[in-house]
Amino acid sequence: MSSIKLFEKPLGMRDTFPGIYEKLEAVRETGRSFLRARGYEFIKTPTVEYYDTVGKASAIYDASLFKLVDSQGNTLVLRPDMTTPIARVATSKLLKEKIPQRLAYFENVFRAQQTEGGRPAEFEQMGVEIIGDSSVYADAEAIVTVIELIQAFGIESFKVTIGHAGVLNTILQDYTESVEEANALRHLLVERNYVGFEEAVTAFDLPKTKSDALLQFIEEATNVLSLMDIEKYMRKNVALNYMRQLEQLLRQAGLVENVSFDFTLTSHMNYYTGMLFEVFAAGSGFPLGNGGRYDGLLKHFGATVGATGFGLRVDRLLEVMPPQEIENVTALILFEPSAYTEALQQAAILREGNRRVTMQSTVGLENVKAYKEQFQEVVYCYGQEEQL
Amino acid sequence: MNELTIAMPKGRIFEEAYRMLIEAGFNLPEEVEMSRKLMIEIPEEQIRFILAKPMDVPVYVEHGVADIGIAGKDVLLEQQRTVHELLDLKISDCYIASAGLPNTTMNEVAPRIATKYPHIAMKYYKEMGEQVEIIELNGSIELAPMIGLADRIVDIVSTGRTLKENGLVEYERITDVSSRLIANPVSYRMKSERILDLVSRLKKCVK
Repeated sequence: MSSIKLFEKPLGMRDTFPGIYEKLEAVRETGRSFLRARGYEFIKTPTVEYYDTVGKASAIYDASLFKLVDSQGNTLVLRPDMTTPIARVATSKLLKEKIPQRLAYFENVFRAQQTEGGRPAEFEQMGVEIIGDSSVYADAEAIVTVIELIQAFGIESFKVTIGHAGVLNTILQDYTESVEEANALRHLLVERNYVGFEEAVTAFDLPKTKSDALLQFIEEATNVLSLMDIEKYMRKNVALNYMRQLEQLLRQAGLVENVSFDFTLTSHMNYYTGMLFEVFAAGSGFPLGNGGRYDGLLKHFGATVGATGFGLRVDRLLEVMPPQEIENVTALILFEPSAYTEALQQAAILREGNRRVTMQSTVGLENVKAYKEQFQEVVYCYGQEEQL
Repeated sequence: MNELTIAMPKGRIFEEAYRMLIEAGFNLPEEVEMSRKLMIEIPEEQIRFILAKPMDVPVYVEHGVADIGIAGKDVLLEQQRTVHELLDLKISDCYIASAGLPNTTMNEVAPRIATKYPHIAMKYYKEMGEQVEIIELNGSIELAPMIGLADRIVDIVSTGRTLKENGLVEYERITDVSSRLIANPVSYRMKSERILDLVSRLKKCVK
């Protein structure tokens, strides 16, 4: 390994330059006022958590965690997501005060990168958690909120793909002969390896009715035109009925155009117990965010209440957002040393007029012409003598 | 209709895959002038091909600059990129195997394995519980056992002729390889109609 250069940063860490900073703040402001208007309360949790509590419970792969050791020898992690810390604080405290809780966050999270050092290892995430409501209305609220939030950012071309862990698990169990087979198939779906799925189904040597059903399911379930199509695979319809209700609620909200159903959608974490979804937008090669019902995580923290929510990656949001004009006028007050009082007064007046006013003495400036060009307005404050 | 960008590996696989697309009813010119072009536009079908090195196809697709692509399973296994694997095109069928000089056993301490596929080789020997030292080479892998650089090589085998001509024999067959149609996760959703249509049409042409 070569030695570290003075200007280097750890792998995947980025500086936020003024231009990006302003965009981030604009996103934060839009998101914050949007979510607060829907009754969500913002919350912040520590950057560092115990590995044994939040680290282990998190949906993020172990290899992606930044690990540290504290002075007592405990392993710590930089928080890899916000859902897990919020589940921790909700179960230990907040749920005793009010239930259900509607919480929102806009925080940075940390995920170590193994490939291609340029990818961010620290990035902002914005999301909500609805904790303590197991009804379909909470899930509908999560999806409605994510769609309207994305629209609030001016993004037009996007899609929310919804699946259901219960539906998929039932089908995988019913049409295979062992738990191992079902798990192997689920794992292939996590990787979205449809070729591998078909190969595995053939290799398992299942009864023909079962393998045919699985092969047909994998074709039909990735792009479900009507929930009725999935009915034939299910003996018990509880989970599917739930999805029908959800679809109906989204229809009533007028948002059914923005969603599609894919019952092969699954996550590597088994705490996703019910509906789950992913958010995609044109303009980025990577998903914008994801969400779903994670009652299993709450159970892990010892609470038997339902929880659902979503998280969006702010860096990808910036990629797909239409460019925005946020600027107010920038003004420069260029003053001679003797005109300092006058310059201060001038600045105060201009700032009242909603300008961003920079005060700069001519003494401290090397290239006056080049500096002046950075501003939209320039005001000179000469000393008394010059004016006379 | 949105334009669809397809990343294709240059060379023989491009030609075979291109034939398949014509067979699947896509209105493509019979002869494409390949020469040194890196991009081919087909306005009639709103398709754009980008021609890349086979190892780079999944990179273009993962980053979404290509919506779909055609990549060998060997490349997909080696690179572990986040792409959807949609269809086995069953072209350029071959397999990855370990090979070495005849009648040899692997060094007991830490056998050396020369390969173009360090990730696949490492994973294979790890799963067998063998501790090995991986030596990454970029080509002419067969040289390694001949001059004593490695005990075994892990490489792609199609007919086995190259191995034979260099006096090597195949030991273990590791995995089958063929060309796959892959898709970017976002394109798969945002352009689902076009991609699913292409998959179902190509599926009928897979032999």
